Amino acid sequence: MSEVINANPTILDVNALPTREDELNSKSQAPKRLNHNIDTLLRLSLTKLKLNESPTVIPALTDDETSDSASASASDFEELEEFEPIDSQEIYDLIATISDPEHPLTLGQLAVINLPDIKVIDNGDPESMAEVVIKITPTITHCSLATLIGLGIRVRLERALPARFRITILVKEGTHQSENQVNKQLNDKERVFAACENDQLLGVISTMLKTCK
Amino acid sequence: MTIQLQLHHSIRAHQDKLWSLSVHKTQPLLATASSDKTCKIFNLSTKQEITSLDDTHKRSIRTVAWKPIVGDDDDEVEPSLACGSFDSTISVWGQDQTEWSLFAVIEGHENEVKCVAWNNSGELLASCSRDKTIWIWEADRDNEEFECISVLQDHTQDVKCVTWHDSLDLLASGSYDDSVRLWREEDDDEDWGCFAELKGHKGTVWGVGFEKGEERLRVVSCSDDHTVKVWKCVDDADEEDVWIEQSTLPSAHQRAVYSVCWSGVSGRIASVGSDGRLVVYEEDEEAGSGKWNIVAVKELAHGVYEVNSVKWFSLQGKEYLITGGDDGVVNIWSI
Repeated sequence: MSEVINANPTILDVNALPTREDELNSKSQAPKRLNHNIDTLLRLSLTKLKLNESPTVIPALTDDETSDSASASASDFEELEEFEPIDSQEIYDLIATISDPEHPLTLGQLAVINLPDIKVIDNGDPESMAEVVIKITPTITHCSLATLIGLGIRVRLERALPARFRITILVKEGTHQSENQVNKQLNDKERVFAACENDQLLGVISTMLKTCK
Repeated sequence: MTIQLQLHHSIRAHQDKLWSLSVHKTQPLLATASSDKTCKIFNLSTKQEITSLDDTHKRSIRTVAWKPIVGDDDDEVEPSLACGSFDSTISVWGQDQTEWSLFAVIEGHENEVKCVAWNNSGELLASCSRDKTIWIWEADRDNEEFECISVLQDHTQDVKCVTWHDSLDLLASGSYDDSVRLWREEDDDEDWGCFAELKGHKGTVWGVGFEKGEERLRVVSCSDDHTVKVWKCVDDADEEDVWIEQSTLPSAHQRAVYSVCWSGVSGRIASVGSDGRLVVYEEDEEAGSGKWNIVAVKELAHGVYEVNSVKWFSLQGKEYLITGGDDGVVNIWSI
């Protein structure tokens, strides 16, 4: 990169980024899938979960964000046991660690990706369609790298998510001069696929994705 | 009235996305194009693979089209087809005795070829590309020489699809610029020109098709805006070629509609798209009325995968639908 487009971006502290633990502590949003955080769960003693009975499958706590986690009944667990819906925090974790193409920082640190701007519709059933809509906030309104960043996010999600997901990536309203153009390009299946056959471009994207866990 | 769509047969054709499929007009042959860089040919009677055309394109094969066989010596002419690829070239293949051979590689487009289509006589091949142009090639009988006779540059963005009328030399195209354009040879010279621009879609036009026959001149188009529209040429004493949007078909898709096909047998229209649905529409009262009803919706036609291509075809007097999707599978539907 010969010239830095946004030389002085606003940077968030890594510790200030949203994580699964924040959600649990605040209890404002009950997490839907917890199996990668059993320890945290035990510490908070959500005692209705009988972890010893099914150590590998942790059922969802609630159907949606509005209901209280404490009201989740045993029957809810059984019903949803076989399906593990993917939630917005999981999507966030997949993409917030992508590196910015011009700064040694992640998209989470630069607040290009923000948890409230990720919407997921998924019932966890591998045989029905699911949807994720992500709005990205470019660091400056004329950022010419917005398309590349969007493409990186799409590649990451297409590789990581099951085939049932339809992925929509949009520039957040009012944050980019050529919002419509960028949106159209990022969601054109054919253009995206053709771009991913371009080795040079794929090389740049691979570098961006190297920081993903 | 509703009709039943039954999955008649399923062929696992490719390891990667199946972008396009084509059924031969007079022989029971199916060709499929895929991101796995191959084009496969199947016998539609036995459902068996005949051959795989590979080692030619460096990137995805996006489109495939059988060349119609015409003339009085049908028996002597063996089947041939054209493939268009993201590598910007078009390859032409044909059966030579028992072997399938590469006859020609056509270069000219600057970047990804998105669609190819033969006219009814098999003398003209149209191709379109992300380079915003449509090229019309004159083909010789042996598929060895292709001469470009016109380059059409009126679209302002990628041209996604081209298709010919089934008996007249009229060409339709759809584009990333959200418009459909209609083209024909101009009277005074040999060059081709745009004679109608159809505007109304609010997103990329992914697919176009003409109504079969010459009784009425109509075009169907499908778009990223989730809609399917029918356009009609109206008679006007003063002006030639007045085209209007006749109908937006009843809403049945929740995401981009990638392919549409108008049946010459039943007059029905079929559409498929990103939402995995296969939808069939039928015209009310009489043909030409412009009032359409949905007569069949097949959810998850390719499981959770997107459906990229749909075609009508007839085999032994019975009409079928055939679809191809991101799962690399071909599904044949009986009605």
